Amino acid sequence: MGLLTILKKMKHKEREMRLLMLGLDNAGKTTILKKFNGEDVSTISPTLGFNIKTLEHRGFKLNIWDVGGQKSLRSYWRNYFESTDGLVWVVDSADRLRLEDCRQELSSLLLEERLAGATLLVFANKQDLPGALSKDGIREALALDSIKTHHWCIIGCSAVTGENLLPGVDWLLDDIGARIFTAD
Amino acid sequence: MVCLGTSTGSHIVILAGFTLLRLLLLANSRIKNHFRLKQQTRIYPARRLRTYPGDVKMFGYIWQHLFTSFLRFLFKWFLRHFTGKCELQRICSGYKQGAARTSRAEHSLESSKSKVLRAAVSVQEEHVEECAIAIMKEKKVTSQKDPVFKMSLQVCLSQICGYKGLYACVEDMRKQPFDCENNDHENRLLRLWDLLMPSVKLDSRLTKQWGDIGFQGDDPKTDFRGMGMLGLTNLVFFSEKYTDVARQVLSHSVHPKLGYSYAIVGINLTEMAYSLLRSGALKPHFYNTVSQSPKLEHFHQLYCYFAYEFDKFWIEAKPESIMEFNRYREMFHEKMKGLLEDPDVSLCLTLDSKQ
Repeated sequence: MGLLTILKKMKHKEREMRLLMLGLDNAGKTTILKKFNGEDVSTISPTLGFNIKTLEHRGFKLNIWDVGGQKSLRSYWRNYFESTDGLVWVVDSADRLRLEDCRQELSSLLLEERLAGATLLVFANKQDLPGALSKDGIREALALDSIKTHHWCIIGCSAVTGENLLPGVDWLLDDIGARIFTAD
Repeated sequence: MVCLGTSTGSHIVILAGFTLLRLLLLANSRIKNHFRLKQQTRIYPARRLRTYPGDVKMFGYIWQHLFTSFLRFLFKWFLRHFTGKCELQRICSGYKQGAARTSRAEHSLESSKSKVLRAAVSVQEEHVEECAIAIMKEKKVTSQKDPVFKMSLQVCLSQICGYKGLYACVEDMRKQPFDCENNDHENRLLRLWDLLMPSVKLDSRLTKQWGDIGFQGDDPKTDFRGMGMLGLTNLVFFSEKYTDVARQVLSHSVHPKLGYSYAIVGINLTEMAYSLLRSGALKPHFYNTVSQSPKLEHFHQLYCYFAYEFDKFWIEAKPESIMEFNRYREMFHEKMKGLLEDPDVSLCLTLDSKQ
Protein backbone atom coordinates (compact mmCIF):
# COMPACT_ATOMS: atom_id res chain seq x y z
CA MET A 1 0.00 0.00 0.00
CA GLY A 2 2.98 2.28 0.73
CA LEU A 3 4.10 2.58 -2.88
CA LEU A 4 0.57 3.14 -4.09
CA THR A 5 0.08 6.00 -1.64
CA ILE A 6 3.29 7.65 -2.81
CA LEU A 7 2.26 7.24 -6.43
CA LYS A 8 -1.13 8.72 -5.69
CA LYS A 9 0.49 11.64 -3.92
CA MET A 10 2.79 12.24 -6.87
CA LYS A 11 -0.16 12.25 -9.17
CA HIS A 12 -2.00 14.57 -6.84
CA LYS A 13 0.74 17.15 -7.22
CA GLU A 14 0.37 17.26 -10.96
CA ARG A 15 -3.39 16.78 -10.94
CA GLU A 16 -3.08 15.34 -14.39
CA MET A 17 -5.68 13.13 -16.01
CA ARG A 18 -5.59 11.00 -19.09
CA LEU A 19 -8.84 10.67 -20.98
CA LEU A 20 -9.33 8.33 -23.89
CA MET A 21 -12.08 9.12 -26.37
CA LEU A 22 -13.34 6.24 -28.50
CA GLY A 23 -16.39 5.31 -30.55
CA LEU A 24 -17.37 4.27 -34.06
CA ASP A 25 -16.37 6.43 -37.01
CA ASN A 26 -18.53 9.52 -37.55
CA ALA A 27 -19.61 9.51 -33.88
CA GLY A 28 -18.25 13.04 -33.39
CA LYS A 29 -15.13 12.49 -31.26
CA THR A 30 -12.96 15.10 -32.96
CA THR A 31 -15.82 17.59 -33.01
CA ILE A 32 -16.31 17.13 -29.25
CA LEU A 33 -12.59 17.62 -28.65
CA LYS A 34 -12.40 20.73 -30.79
CA LYS A 35 -15.60 22.24 -29.44
CA PHE A 36 -14.44 21.64 -25.89
CA ASN A 37 -11.19 23.37 -26.77
CA GLY A 38 -13.04 26.31 -28.34
CA GLU A 39 -11.93 25.62 -31.90
CA ASP A 40 -13.84 25.90 -35.16
CA VAL A 41 -15.80 22.68 -35.80
CA SER A 42 -17.11 23.40 -39.29
CA THR A 43 -14.09 22.22 -41.29
CA ILE A 44 -13.33 18.83 -39.76
CA SER A 45 -12.17 15.87 -41.85
CA PRO A 46 -12.16 12.20 -40.79
CA THR A 47 -9.46 11.24 -38.28
CA LEU A 48 -6.85 8.86 -39.54
CA GLY A 49 -4.66 7.94 -36.58
CA PHE A 50 -5.26 10.07 -33.51
CA ASN A 51 -5.35 13.60 -32.14
CA ILE A 52 -4.08 14.57 -28.74
CA LYS A 53 -4.86 17.78 -26.90
CA THR A 54 -3.66 18.92 -23.53
CA LEU A 55 -5.88 21.46 -21.89
CA GLU A 56 -6.52 22.96 -18.50
CA HIS A 57 -9.95 22.64 -16.95
CA ARG A 58 -10.87 23.37 -13.32
CA GLY A 59 -7.23 23.23 -12.32
CA PHE A 60 -6.67 19.82 -13.88
CA LYS A 61 -4.36 19.18 -16.74
CA LEU A 62 -6.30 16.98 -19.13
CA ASN A 63 -4.58 14.88 -21.75
CA ILE A 64 -7.34 13.94 -24.15
CA TRP A 65 -6.66 11.28 -26.75
CA ASP A 66 -9.04 11.12 -29.67
CA VAL A 67 -8.44 7.98 -31.72
CA GLY A 68 -9.99 7.36 -35.13
CA GLY A 69 -12.98 5.02 -35.11
CA GLN A 70 -12.99 3.37 -38.51
CA LYS A 71 -12.96 -0.41 -38.43
CA SER A 72 -9.38 -0.83 -39.65
CA LEU A 73 -8.12 1.43 -36.84
CA ARG A 74 -9.93 -0.30 -33.98
CA SER A 75 -7.19 -2.90 -33.59
CA TYR A 76 -4.85 -0.03 -32.66
CA TRP A 77 -7.10 1.21 -29.84
CA ARG A 78 -5.35 -1.06 -27.35
CA ASN A 79 -2.11 0.91 -27.83
CA TYR A 80 -3.75 3.82 -26.04
CA PHE A 81 -5.25 2.00 -23.01
CA GLU A 82 -2.28 2.36 -20.63
CA SER A 83 -2.92 4.54 -17.55
CA THR A 84 -6.25 5.82 -18.80
CA ASP A 85 -8.24 7.52 -16.01
CA GLY A 86 -11.40 8.12 -17.95
CA LEU A 87 -12.93 6.55 -21.03
CA VAL A 88 -15.26 8.72 -23.09
CA TRP A 89 -17.43 6.60 -25.36
CA VAL A 90 -19.07 8.68 -28.07
CA VAL A 91 -22.23 7.48 -29.82
CA ASP A 92 -23.92 8.88 -32.91
CA SER A 93 -27.49 8.84 -31.58
CA ALA A 94 -28.92 9.22 -35.08
CA ASP A 95 -27.13 6.17 -36.49
CA ARG A 96 -29.64 3.53 -35.36
CA LEU A 97 -28.37 0.91 -37.80
CA ARG A 98 -25.01 0.63 -36.12
CA LEU A 99 -26.11 0.67 -32.47
CA GLU A 100 -25.59 -3.06 -32.17
CA ASP A 101 -22.07 -2.70 -33.56
CA CYS A 102 -21.56 0.12 -31.09
CA ARG A 103 -22.77 -2.01 -28.14
CA GLN A 104 -20.44 -4.85 -29.05
CA GLU A 105 -17.38 -2.61 -29.35
CA LEU A 106 -18.11 -1.01 -26.00
CA SER A 107 -18.68 -4.27 -24.18
CA SER A 108 -15.43 -5.75 -25.48
CA LEU A 109 -13.58 -2.60 -24.38
CA LEU A 110 -14.93 -2.95 -20.87
CA LEU A 111 -13.40 -6.42 -20.63
CA GLU A 112 -9.93 -4.93 -21.14
CA GLU A 113 -7.79 -5.32 -18.05
CA ARG A 114 -5.91 -2.08 -18.64
CA LEU A 115 -9.15 -0.11 -18.63
CA ALA A 116 -10.42 -1.81 -15.48
CA GLY A 117 -9.93 1.24 -13.25
CA ALA A 118 -11.25 3.81 -15.69
CA THR A 119 -14.47 5.78 -15.27
CA LEU A 120 -16.83 5.56 -18.25
CA LEU A 121 -18.66 8.54 -19.68
CA VAL A 122 -21.03 7.85 -22.56
CA PHE A 123 -21.86 10.83 -24.74
CA ALA A 124 -25.12 10.28 -26.64
CA ASN A 125 -24.05 12.78 -29.28
CA LYS A 126 -25.97 14.52 -32.07
CA GLN A 127 -29.07 15.17 -29.96
CA ASP A 128 -29.65 18.20 -32.21
CA LEU A 129 -30.47 15.94 -35.20
CA PRO A 130 -34.17 15.25 -35.80
CA GLY A 131 -33.84 11.45 -35.97
CA ALA A 132 -31.67 11.12 -32.87
CA LEU A 133 -32.49 8.48 -30.26
CA SER A 134 -32.88 9.89 -26.76
CA LYS A 135 -30.34 9.42 -24.00
CA ASP A 136 -32.52 6.71 -22.44
CA GLY A 137 -32.90 4.98 -25.79
CA ILE A 138 -29.13 4.78 -26.12
CA ARG A 139 -28.81 3.63 -22.53
CA GLU A 140 -31.06 0.71 -23.33
CA ALA A 141 -29.54 -0.07 -26.73
CA LEU A 142 -26.05 -0.25 -25.26
CA ALA A 143 -27.29 -2.19 -22.20
CA LEU A 144 -25.49 0.23 -19.92
CA ASP A 145 -27.44 -0.88 -16.84
CA SER A 146 -25.70 -4.23 -16.95
CA ILE A 147 -22.28 -2.62 -16.44
CA LYS A 148 -21.10 -3.43 -12.93
CA THR A 149 -17.36 -3.17 -13.44
CA HIS A 150 -17.02 0.57 -14.03
CA HIS A 151 -18.47 3.81 -12.71
CA TRP A 152 -20.50 5.11 -15.61
CA CYS A 153 -22.82 7.88 -16.66
CA ILE A 154 -24.64 8.74 -19.89
CA ILE A 155 -25.19 12.30 -21.07
CA GLY A 156 -27.12 13.44 -24.12
CA CYS A 157 -25.17 16.14 -25.92
CA SER A 158 -24.52 17.93 -29.17
CA ALA A 159 -20.93 18.56 -30.14
CA VAL A 160 -21.98 21.03 -32.84
CA THR A 161 -23.90 23.29 -30.45
CA GLY A 162 -21.71 22.41 -27.48
CA GLU A 163 -24.76 21.54 -25.40
CA ASN A 164 -24.04 19.41 -22.30
CA LEU A 165 -20.35 18.85 -23.10
CA LEU A 166 -19.26 20.68 -19.97
CA PRO A 167 -21.60 18.85 -17.55
CA GLY A 168 -20.35 15.56 -19.00
CA VAL A 169 -16.69 16.35 -18.57
CA ASP A 170 -17.35 17.80 -15.11
CA TRP A 171 -19.03 14.60 -13.98
CA LEU A 172 -16.07 12.63 -15.32
CA LEU A 173 -13.56 14.81 -13.49
CA ASP A 174 -15.51 14.60 -10.23
CA ASP A 175 -15.66 10.84 -10.42
CA ILE A 176 -11.99 10.40 -11.30
CA GLY A 177 -10.97 13.03 -8.76
CA ALA A 178 -12.88 11.30 -5.99
CA ARG A 179 -11.10 8.08 -6.87
CA ILE A 180 -7.48 9.13 -7.28
CA PHE A 181 -6.94 12.42 -5.50
CA THR A 182 -8.62 11.79 -2.16
CA ALA A 183 -6.21 9.13 -0.91
CA ASP A 184 -4.54 11.60 1.41
CA MET B 1 8.71 72.69 -48.82
CA VAL B 2 11.53 71.19 -50.77
CA CYS B 3 11.76 72.93 -54.05
CA LEU B 4 12.88 70.48 -56.70
CA GLY B 5 15.83 71.22 -58.94
CA THR B 6 16.44 74.89 -58.17
CA SER B 7 19.90 74.79 -56.72
CA THR B 8 22.71 72.38 -55.85
CA GLY B 9 21.92 72.94 -52.16
CA SER B 10 18.44 71.54 -52.43
CA HIS B 11 19.79 68.60 -54.42
CA ILE B 12 22.06 67.70 -51.56
CA VAL B 13 19.16 67.98 -49.12
CA ILE B 14 17.08 65.69 -51.31
CA LEU B 15 19.84 63.12 -51.65
CA ALA B 16 20.54 63.13 -47.92
CA GLY B 17 16.85 62.73 -47.18
CA PHE B 18 16.58 59.97 -49.72
CA THR B 19 19.49 58.04 -48.24
CA LEU B 20 18.07 58.37 -44.75
CA LEU B 21 14.66 57.14 -45.81
CA ARG B 22 16.17 54.30 -47.77
CA LEU B 23 18.04 53.23 -44.66
CA LEU B 24 14.81 53.37 -42.64
CA LEU B 25 13.06 51.23 -45.20
CA LEU B 26 15.86 48.70 -45.15
CA ALA B 27 15.83 48.63 -41.36
CA ASN B 28 12.09 48.07 -41.43
CA SER B 29 12.29 45.06 -43.72
CA ARG B 30 15.13 43.66 -41.59
CA ILE B 31 13.02 43.97 -38.46
CA LYS B 32 10.01 42.39 -40.17
CA ASN B 33 12.09 39.48 -41.42
CA HIS B 34 13.63 39.03 -38.01
CA PHE B 35 10.26 38.55 -36.39
CA ARG B 36 8.89 36.44 -39.19
CA LEU B 37 11.80 34.03 -39.07
CA LYS B 38 11.64 33.68 -35.32
CA GLN B 39 7.96 32.89 -35.43
CA GLN B 40 8.64 30.06 -37.80
CA THR B 41 11.16 28.38 -35.55
CA ARG B 42 9.01 25.62 -34.26
CA ILE B 43 10.04 22.51 -32.45
CA TYR B 44 8.20 19.54 -33.75
CA PRO B 45 6.15 17.79 -32.36
CA ALA B 46 5.79 19.91 -29.26
CA ARG B 47 5.16 22.92 -31.52
CA ARG B 48 6.34 25.33 -28.88
CA LEU B 49 7.03 28.85 -29.95
CA ARG B 50 10.25 30.29 -28.66
CA THR B 51 9.60 33.21 -26.40
CA TYR B 52 11.48 36.46 -26.51
CA PRO B 53 11.83 39.28 -24.01
CA GLY B 54 8.79 41.52 -24.04
CA ASP B 55 10.72 44.74 -24.56
CA VAL B 56 12.22 43.52 -27.85
CA LYS B 57 8.73 42.67 -29.08
CA MET B 58 7.46 46.00 -27.81
CA PHE B 59 10.13 47.82 -29.74
CA GLY B 60 9.03 45.92 -32.84
CA TYR B 61 5.42 46.97 -32.40
CA ILE B 62 6.26 50.62 -31.81
CA TRP B 63 8.51 50.63 -34.85
CA GLN B 64 5.83 48.98 -36.95
CA HIS B 65 3.27 51.52 -35.90
CA LEU B 66 5.60 54.44 -36.50
CA PHE B 67 6.55 53.08 -39.88
CA THR B 68 3.08 52.33 -41.21
CA SER B 69 1.48 55.49 -39.89
CA PHE B 70 4.14 58.03 -40.72
CA LEU B 71 7.46 57.02 -42.24
CA ARG B 72 5.99 54.96 -45.05
CA PHE B 73 4.00 57.90 -46.38
CA LEU B 74 6.92 60.23 -46.03
CA PHE B 75 9.07 57.83 -48.00
CA LYS B 76 6.41 57.41 -50.67
CA TRP B 77 5.89 61.14 -50.95
CA PHE B 78 9.60 61.58 -51.38
CA LEU B 79 9.95 58.91 -54.05
CA ARG B 80 6.90 60.18 -55.87
CA HIS B 81 8.53 63.58 -56.30
CA PHE B 82 11.94 62.15 -56.97
CA THR B 83 10.97 59.63 -59.65
CA GLY B 84 7.78 61.25 -60.89
CA LYS B 85 5.94 57.91 -60.54
CA CYS B 86 3.46 56.71 -57.95
CA GLU B 87 4.14 53.57 -55.92
CA LEU B 88 1.90 51.36 -58.10
CA GLN B 89 3.74 52.49 -61.22
CA ARG B 90 7.09 51.75 -59.64
CA ILE B 91 5.85 48.28 -58.64
CA CYS B 92 4.43 47.52 -62.10
CA SER B 93 7.58 48.60 -63.90
CA GLY B 94 10.08 47.31 -61.36
CA TYR B 95 8.91 43.73 -60.83
CA LYS B 96 8.09 40.94 -63.22
CA GLN B 97 4.50 39.75 -63.52
CA GLY B 98 3.50 37.24 -60.83
CA ALA B 99 3.63 37.14 -57.06
CA ALA B 100 6.57 39.57 -56.92
CA ARG B 101 4.46 42.28 -58.55
CA THR B 102 0.91 41.40 -57.49
CA SER B 103 1.67 40.85 -53.78
CA ARG B 104 3.40 44.24 -53.62
CA ALA B 105 0.57 45.93 -55.49
CA GLU B 106 -1.93 44.31 -53.12
CA HIS B 107 -0.05 45.56 -50.09
CA SER B 108 0.26 49.01 -51.61
CA LEU B 109 -3.48 49.20 -52.34
CA GLU B 110 -4.47 47.89 -48.92
CA SER B 111 -2.35 50.39 -47.05
CA SER B 112 -3.22 53.36 -49.24
CA LYS B 113 -4.75 56.50 -47.79
CA SER B 114 -7.09 56.81 -50.76
CA LYS B 115 -10.52 55.20 -50.56
CA VAL B 116 -10.52 54.39 -54.28
CA LEU B 117 -7.31 52.39 -53.94
CA ARG B 118 -8.33 50.60 -50.77
CA ALA B 119 -11.64 49.56 -52.35
CA ALA B 120 -9.82 48.21 -55.42
CA VAL B 121 -8.75 44.98 -53.68
CA SER B 122 -12.36 43.84 -53.40
CA VAL B 123 -13.60 44.91 -56.83
CA GLN B 124 -15.79 42.53 -58.86
CA GLU B 125 -14.11 40.78 -61.76
CA GLU B 126 -16.24 42.51 -64.40
CA HIS B 127 -15.35 45.96 -63.04
CA VAL B 128 -11.58 45.51 -63.11
CA GLU B 129 -11.05 47.78 -66.08
CA GLU B 130 -13.19 50.62 -64.69
CA CYS B 131 -11.36 50.27 -61.43
CA ALA B 132 -7.97 50.53 -63.15
CA ILE B 133 -9.12 53.69 -64.90
CA ALA B 134 -10.36 55.14 -61.61
CA ILE B 135 -7.01 54.42 -59.97
CA MET B 136 -5.15 56.09 -62.83
CA LYS B 137 -7.37 59.12 -62.49
CA GLU B 138 -6.86 59.23 -58.74
CA LYS B 139 -3.09 58.94 -59.14
CA LYS B 140 -3.00 61.25 -62.17
CA VAL B 141 -1.34 58.68 -64.40
CA THR B 142 -1.98 59.06 -68.13
CA SER B 143 -1.70 56.31 -70.74
CA GLN B 144 0.59 58.54 -72.79
CA LYS B 145 3.17 58.76 -70.02
CA ASP B 146 3.04 55.11 -68.99
CA PRO B 147 1.41 53.03 -71.74
CA VAL B 148 1.84 49.57 -70.17
CA PHE B 149 0.71 50.58 -66.69
CA LYS B 150 -2.99 50.06 -67.26
CA MET B 151 -2.58 46.51 -68.55
CA SER B 152 -0.20 45.54 -65.73
CA LEU B 153 -2.51 47.02 -63.13
CA GLN B 154 -5.48 45.17 -64.59
CA VAL B 155 -3.66 41.84 -64.34
CA CYS B 156 -2.79 42.58 -60.73
CA LEU B 157 -6.38 43.53 -59.92
CA SER B 158 -7.79 40.44 -61.66
CA GLN B 159 -5.45 38.23 -59.66
CA ILE B 160 -6.16 39.96 -56.35
CA CYS B 161 -9.94 39.95 -56.67
CA GLY B 162 -9.86 36.54 -58.40
CA TYR B 163 -8.27 35.00 -55.32
CA LYS B 164 -11.09 36.37 -53.18
CA GLY B 165 -13.66 35.11 -55.67
CA LEU B 166 -12.02 31.69 -55.70
CA TYR B 167 -12.19 31.49 -51.93
CA ALA B 168 -15.91 32.32 -52.07
CA CYS B 169 -16.54 29.55 -54.67
CA VAL B 170 -14.53 27.00 -52.72
CA GLU B 171 -16.35 27.93 -49.53
CA ASP B 172 -19.73 27.50 -51.26
CA MET B 173 -18.78 24.05 -52.49
CA ARG B 174 -17.41 23.03 -49.11
CA LYS B 175 -20.61 24.10 -47.37
CA GLN B 176 -22.69 21.94 -49.68
CA PRO B 177 -23.03 18.57 -47.90
CA PHE B 178 -23.07 15.32 -49.84
CA ASP B 179 -26.73 14.45 -50.38
CA CYS B 180 -27.86 10.91 -51.33
CA GLU B 181 -31.10 12.33 -52.73
CA ASN B 182 -29.21 14.45 -55.21
CA ASN B 183 -28.61 12.50 -58.42
CA ASP B 184 -25.66 14.63 -59.42
CA HIS B 185 -23.90 13.92 -56.11
CA GLU B 186 -24.65 10.21 -56.36
CA ASN B 187 -23.42 10.02 -59.94
CA ARG B 188 -20.18 11.73 -59.09
CA LEU B 189 -19.57 9.27 -56.27
CA LEU B 190 -20.23 6.29 -58.57
CA ARG B 191 -18.02 7.89 -61.21
CA LEU B 192 -15.18 8.03 -58.69
CA TRP B 193 -15.51 4.29 -58.20
CA ASP B 194 -15.59 3.55 -61.94
CA LEU B 195 -12.54 5.72 -62.60
CA LEU B 196 -10.47 4.12 -59.85
CA MET B 197 -11.71 0.54 -60.13
CA PRO B 198 -12.61 0.05 -63.80
CA SER B 199 -12.55 -3.75 -63.63
CA VAL B 200 -14.66 -4.16 -60.48
CA LYS B 201 -18.39 -3.51 -60.25
CA LEU B 202 -20.02 -2.30 -57.05
CA ASP B 203 -22.28 -5.00 -55.56
CA SER B 204 -24.66 -2.35 -54.28
CA ARG B 205 -24.72 1.26 -53.22
CA LEU B 206 -24.08 0.30 -49.59
CA THR B 207 -21.17 -2.09 -49.54
CA LYS B 208 -17.91 -2.88 -47.80
CA GLN B 209 -16.22 -2.43 -51.18
CA TRP B 210 -16.00 1.33 -50.56
CA GLY B 211 -13.22 0.44 -48.19
CA ASP B 212 -11.11 -0.64 -51.20
CA ILE B 213 -10.74 2.98 -52.28
CA GLY B 214 -10.25 4.18 -48.74
CA PHE B 215 -13.62 5.16 -47.37
CA GLN B 216 -14.37 4.23 -43.76
CA GLY B 217 -17.56 2.21 -43.92
CA ASP B 218 -20.39 0.93 -46.12
CA ASP B 219 -21.53 4.41 -47.12
CA PRO B 220 -19.07 7.15 -48.08
CA LYS B 221 -21.66 9.87 -47.43
CA THR B 222 -20.58 10.30 -43.79
CA ASP B 223 -16.91 10.65 -44.69
CA PHE B 224 -17.00 14.04 -46.41
CA ARG B 225 -17.75 15.86 -43.15
CA GLY B 226 -16.77 19.53 -43.12
CA MET B 227 -15.34 19.35 -46.64
CA GLY B 228 -18.70 18.43 -48.23
CA MET B 229 -18.82 18.34 -52.01
CA LEU B 230 -15.40 19.99 -52.23
CA GLY B 231 -13.83 16.77 -50.95
CA LEU B 232 -15.65 14.59 -53.48
CA THR B 233 -15.07 16.97 -56.39
CA ASN B 234 -11.33 17.02 -55.72
CA LEU B 235 -11.20 13.22 -55.61
CA VAL B 236 -13.13 12.93 -58.87
CA PHE B 237 -11.08 15.65 -60.59
CA PHE B 238 -7.81 13.90 -59.75
CA SER B 239 -9.08 10.56 -61.06
CA GLU B 240 -10.47 12.18 -64.19
CA LYS B 241 -7.52 14.37 -65.20
CA TYR B 242 -4.74 12.10 -64.05
CA THR B 243 -6.38 8.69 -64.17
CA ASP B 244 -3.14 6.71 -64.34
CA VAL B 245 -1.49 8.69 -61.58
CA ALA B 246 -4.56 8.37 -59.36
CA ARG B 247 -4.63 4.59 -59.88
CA GLN B 248 -0.93 4.40 -59.14
CA VAL B 249 -1.43 6.38 -55.90
CA LEU B 250 -4.37 4.11 -55.04
CA SER B 251 -2.17 1.05 -55.55
CA HIS B 252 0.36 2.47 -53.08
CA SER B 253 -2.42 3.07 -50.58
CA VAL B 254 -3.26 -0.63 -50.39
CA HIS B 255 0.32 -1.60 -49.55
CA PRO B 256 0.23 -4.09 -46.63
CA LYS B 257 2.69 -2.11 -44.51
CA LEU B 258 2.71 1.45 -45.84
CA GLY B 259 -0.96 1.51 -46.80
CA TYR B 260 -3.36 4.33 -45.96
CA SER B 261 -7.01 5.12 -46.62
CA TYR B 262 -6.92 6.70 -50.08
CA ALA B 263 -10.21 8.61 -49.95
CA ILE B 264 -9.91 9.69 -46.31
CA VAL B 265 -6.38 10.98 -46.91
CA GLY B 266 -7.74 12.81 -49.96
CA ILE B 267 -10.39 14.52 -47.83
CA ASN B 268 -7.71 15.47 -45.29
CA LEU B 269 -5.60 16.95 -48.10
CA THR B 270 -8.62 18.91 -49.31
CA GLU B 271 -8.84 20.36 -45.84
CA MET B 272 -5.16 21.28 -46.01
CA ALA B 273 -5.54 23.01 -49.38
CA TYR B 274 -8.66 24.78 -48.14
CA SER B 275 -7.02 26.09 -44.98
CA LEU B 276 -4.01 27.33 -46.98
CA LEU B 277 -6.38 29.10 -49.35
CA ARG B 278 -8.28 30.65 -46.46
CA SER B 279 -5.16 31.94 -44.73
CA GLY B 280 -3.97 33.56 -47.96
CA ALA B 281 -0.88 31.34 -48.09
CA LEU B 282 -1.75 30.20 -51.63
CA LYS B 283 -1.62 33.73 -53.03
CA PRO B 284 1.95 33.53 -54.38
CA HIS B 285 1.18 30.20 -56.03
CA PHE B 286 -1.90 31.49 -57.86
CA TYR B 287 -0.31 34.86 -58.69
CA ASN B 288 2.57 33.01 -60.34
CA THR B 289 0.63 30.32 -62.17
CA VAL B 290 -2.59 32.01 -63.29
CA SER B 291 -2.26 35.30 -65.16
CA GLN B 292 -5.96 36.12 -64.84
CA SER B 293 -8.30 35.40 -61.97
CA PRO B 294 -7.91 31.84 -60.64
CA LYS B 295 -10.91 29.53 -60.99
CA LEU B 296 -12.12 26.39 -59.21
CA GLU B 297 -10.25 24.25 -61.69
CA HIS B 298 -6.98 25.77 -60.52
CA PHE B 299 -7.83 24.84 -56.96
CA HIS B 300 -8.55 21.25 -58.03
CA GLN B 301 -5.21 21.23 -59.87
CA LEU B 302 -3.48 22.20 -56.67
CA TYR B 303 -5.25 19.34 -54.89
CA CYS B 304 -3.84 16.95 -57.53
CA TYR B 305 -0.37 18.23 -56.71
CA PHE B 306 -0.99 17.62 -52.99
CA ALA B 307 -2.39 14.12 -53.56
CA TYR B 308 0.56 13.09 -55.72
CA GLU B 309 3.22 14.71 -53.55
CA PHE B 310 1.78 13.44 -50.27
CA ASP B 311 1.84 9.88 -51.57
CA LYS B 312 5.52 10.26 -52.47
CA PHE B 313 6.25 11.88 -49.11
CA TRP B 314 4.51 9.10 -47.19
CA ILE B 315 6.13 6.24 -49.09
CA GLU B 316 9.60 7.79 -48.73
CA ALA B 317 9.11 8.46 -45.02
CA LYS B 318 8.07 4.82 -44.34
CA PRO B 319 5.92 5.51 -41.26
CA GLU B 320 5.50 2.76 -38.69
CA SER B 321 1.74 2.55 -39.10
CA ILE B 322 -1.30 4.47 -40.20
CA MET B 323 -1.61 5.77 -36.63
CA GLU B 324 1.29 8.10 -37.45
CA PHE B 325 -0.79 9.82 -40.11
CA ASN B 326 -1.47 13.09 -38.30
CA ARG B 327 2.21 13.59 -37.53
CA TYR B 328 3.19 13.12 -41.17
CA ARG B 329 0.29 15.21 -42.36
CA GLU B 330 1.58 18.07 -40.18
CA MET B 331 5.10 17.58 -41.51
CA PHE B 332 3.80 17.69 -45.06
CA HIS B 333 1.76 20.78 -44.21
CA GLU B 334 4.88 22.53 -42.88
CA LYS B 335 6.76 21.50 -45.99
CA MET B 336 4.09 23.04 -48.22
CA LYS B 337 4.03 26.22 -46.14
CA GLY B 338 7.78 26.39 -46.52
CA LEU B 339 7.51 26.12 -50.31
CA LEU B 340 4.85 28.83 -50.35
CA GLU B 341 7.23 31.24 -48.59
CA ASP B 342 9.22 31.43 -51.81
CA PRO B 343 7.93 34.30 -53.98
CA ASP B 344 8.61 32.26 -57.13
CA VAL B 345 6.62 29.26 -55.93
CA SER B 346 4.52 27.27 -58.36
CA LEU B 347 3.05 24.02 -57.09
CA CYS B 348 2.30 22.15 -60.28
CA LEU B 349 2.10 18.43 -60.71
CA THR B 350 5.08 17.27 -62.70
CA LEU B 351 5.26 13.56 -63.28
CA ASP B 352 8.44 11.55 -62.80
CA SER B 353 9.67 9.98 -66.00
CA LYS B 354 9.34 6.46 -64.62
CA GLN B 355 5.60 6.11 -64.35
